[in-house]
Amino acid sequence: MRHHTIPRIVTKLLIPVILLFGLYVQFHGDFSAGGGFQAGVIFAAGFILYNIIFGLDIGKSILSVNTSKSLMALGVILYLMVGFLGILLGGNFLEYNYLSNTPINGQLLGIFLVELGVGLTVSNVMVLVFYSFNDISEEK
Amino acid sequence: MSEISILAILILSLALVISIFRFITANEIYTKILTVNLIGTKIVLLILLVGTVSIEKDFTDIAMVYALINFISTIVILKYYEDKEVSK
Repeated sequence: MRHHTIPRIVTKLLIPVILLFGLYVQFHGDFSAGGGFQAGVIFAAGFILYNIIFGLDIGKSILSVNTSKSLMALGVILYLMVGFLGILLGGNFLEYNYLSNTPINGQLLGIFLVELGVGLTVSNVMVLVFYSFNDISEEK
Repeated sequence: MSEISILAILILSLALVISIFRFITANEIYTKILTVNLIGTKIVLLILLVGTVSIEKDFTDIAMVYALINFISTIVILKYYEDKEVSK
């Protein structure tokens, strides 16, 4: 897409806004519509748009397949660690009340970390699905 | 205020029906893609207008996401029909 000026310029202007909106949906998810899954999908949509406009080679130099797989696993590990930390500190699995000094702070911290893990995993899974479809179309 | 919004929703729904009719009768694929983009824009406006009538406040976020998906899908479909491959 080297010679398509208008999509390139519009995408350059739009991608920071998309990523910022993804972060808003992620971290404002406890007060309005949103959460980890939706934020991950929006974030991945911005990155996939970048890949489509500027080519997959530049996109893979930013976020390679192996990095994406590692980050995907890191999100699940973060989720599970928060869950088992609840057991270690004397509660049930994913019981946030024991994570901090007061139950309210514990709830805030726990939902923040869990949603961060969900967002990380979902965004990287979406990027990996996009990469996989591209590999299938290259094999044919 | 609410009556004006409901009137606007009705008029916009009528425009949406006309757009869908145009989508059905279009012959060329590029006309169809443009019409899908048009329908998406009208749906974004409809979501915002419903947000002014409803007591829920989250409609603006949903409209922004819808506009984003509309833009990306139009780019991807146009690129697919240009060279039959999305990521080149």
